[in-house]
Amino acid sequence: MRPRVLVAMSGGVDSSVAAALLVRAGYDVVGATMKLFCHGDDLPDRPCCSLDSVNDARRVCEQLGVPHYVLNLEDAFGHDVVDNFVAEYVAGRTPIPCVRCNTFTKFRDLLRKADAIDAAYIATGHYARIVDGALHRGLDPDKDQTYFLWGIDQRVLARMLLPVGDRTKAETRQVARDLGLQVIADKVESQDICFVPDGDHAKVIAARLGPETPALQPGPVVTVDGRVVGEHLGYARYTIGQRRGLPGGFLQPMFVVAIRPATREVVIGPRDALLGNGVIAGAMNWLGAPAKVGDRVQLRVRHRAPLAAAEVVRMEGDVIELALDEPVAAITPGQSLVLYDGDRVIGGGLIERAAGARRPLALLAG
Amino acid sequence: MPAPIYLDHAATTPVRPEVLDAMLPYFGPRFGNPSSVHRWGREARAALDEARERVAHALGAQPDELCFTSGGTEGDNLAVLGSWRALRDVRPALVTTPIEHKAVLAAVHQAAKEGGEERIVAVDPAGRVDEAAYRALVDARVACVSVMWINNEVGVVQDIPALAATAKAHGALVHTDAVQALGKVDIDLRTLPVDYLTVSGHKIGAPKGIGAMYIRRGTPLEPLMHGGSQDRGRRPGTENVAMTIGFARAVELTLAEKAAECARLQAMRDELEQALLARIPDAVIHGRGAPRAPHILNISVPGTDSESLLMALDLKGVACSAGSACQSGSITPSHVLSAMGVPTALAVAAIRMSLGALSTEEDVRRVAELFPALIGKARRLAGVT
Repeated sequence: MRPRVLVAMSGGVDSSVAAALLVRAGYDVVGATMKLFCHGDDLPDRPCCSLDSVNDARRVCEQLGVPHYVLNLEDAFGHDVVDNFVAEYVAGRTPIPCVRCNTFTKFRDLLRKADAIDAAYIATGHYARIVDGALHRGLDPDKDQTYFLWGIDQRVLARMLLPVGDRTKAETRQVARDLGLQVIADKVESQDICFVPDGDHAKVIAARLGPETPALQPGPVVTVDGRVVGEHLGYARYTIGQRRGLPGGFLQPMFVVAIRPATREVVIGPRDALLGNGVIAGAMNWLGAPAKVGDRVQLRVRHRAPLAAAEVVRMEGDVIELALDEPVAAITPGQSLVLYDGDRVIGGGLIERAAGARRPLALLAG
Repeated sequence: MPAPIYLDHAATTPVRPEVLDAMLPYFGPRFGNPSSVHRWGREARAALDEARERVAHALGAQPDELCFTSGGTEGDNLAVLGSWRALRDVRPALVTTPIEHKAVLAAVHQAAKEGGEERIVAVDPAGRVDEAAYRALVDARVACVSVMWINNEVGVVQDIPALAATAKAHGALVHTDAVQALGKVDIDLRTLPVDYLTVSGHKIGAPKGIGAMYIRRGTPLEPLMHGGSQDRGRRPGTENVAMTIGFARAVELTLAEKAAECARLQAMRDELEQALLARIPDAVIHGRGAPRAPHILNISVPGTDSESLLMALDLKGVACSAGSACQSGSITPSHVLSAMGVPTALAVAAIRMSLGALSTEEDVRRVAELFPALIGKARRLAGVT
């Protein structure tokens, strides 16, 4: 019997091509679109429940001749992803909801649906690869999505199929055209967080907690040396490294370098103040053997940032500290830290803060 | 894979060959517009008149009391909003139940938005209208009472003659959505004290997009659409002649076979129910404490979810349904089960099996084996033993 695979389909080109490639490879493909949130009637251009995505995914499945289902994971997604997203901003951090969506929604909840229909595998349109049971970066360096995938249960890797991971985005679009999925092939890629349609995450916070929540109330903008230089309209609107929305009139460009929820302070400083010589992360998840103190690794603290070389200097429970060979800018609490051995993902965690280095940096020491 | 099994007749049914044959000439040579004065028009008019007479006769109505519609949703809207808008100045209230089809509930909500007064009668855990609550809500301010005869999700049958009599005593108009009831209970409008009644074709072997509404002579009704004078202005627009012919044929066939078919369906439904309860002793059959239609079986098994079960059943070739689907197609817990007080954990597990023309003893035997097997697997996965 052909092995069955449940494909998570968003209606976009990547997951559509993933499904098509699996059909071509002889799998018994079942398509599913997850309904994760509902805007109701608030957004006229975006009908209830991402209806357009569902319709596009269904059309692709019709063309491929495979069944398509809509799965309502709204409650779990709201709890696992949206609530956490809001809580992280309130805590002065900058969350990446896609990480938790992959960890909990796609590769846990959806996997349960796969179990229910005897699907041996689960597939997505992620640009990443499974090589010898390990998670590797996608071949297209601009599209690699391992930064969002470090949180999944290691045991799930054996059941994951990532058919577009060894292609470039351009190749994926070409496959879509070759398969006659023209509309999908030419779709504009969405850069928004799916449940934050107009890019204004403060609206999501206000919707959950009310517009009066302290995270969205005015507070002081202070410099690193403690001077109050202005007022902001809510610290949850800021992230480390941000320039937009800051008072002007300084001799050099100023950036957000810290957010202090207790006092609602947004701290700004010059570019140098953004640099970190080390990083501390918690909630580490290993996708193979855990790293050890003294290991040399490459890491990323931001999606698409260049890989940075570092050494593991401390491991305590699920907390790790690394010393960076070269300073890295805007190490942001709440973002992901992902460790690599070449293309292979060793593991990842959530950044707690930038850390002091073992050796002072020439730039700051001088 | 063995032949697929269709257990979703309450959703829709295949068009019967006799119905298709009856319609075909009206897609071809007899294509006329019934409003035209020429021979093509006369031919179409004759067919339409005959279809109307035949449906009216089958239901105990006069032909002029029958209005063809596009189906259940249109009939429900026309009855609820049409009666309320005609009477709103003197009787601003509408009475209905929380287990109606969304077409009635949404129409009542619309009337409320336009200034109407919405009165929802509670149902008991078996799904029957609570008579005391009903009496308390029906008074001289009520324009129309709308109660579904057979519930489409759980199959519970309401005592429409009694409920209608109570409403009439207060001068209220009465509508019943009889979409599931047609062919399952006796409908004789000569004795049934209702003012409006809605039926639909595709539940009884006619195509989708045709239905009819009964409007008792002399009953007020504000039309929803405006245009020509077709159907006495109650439903303007060129009539769907072919489908009215098909609908008439389907009604006649259904009513002629009613006694035998209901007995056949009920025997199979009861057998399936017994088999499932024997193999899944903690399964809950919704509406079991009330009189039920012979063709519907709505079952919840603790520790499962309908979304996964429906997928698994479909992939095994068995078509059932659950709750109601939102426009994206995702399943939300049934408002009917919620209104009956079914706990959410059970409501999200509900699977509706509805038997009909395609159903066979073999289907029942296979589903009686397959369903418990899928339940066992689902529960093992969920860690329920």
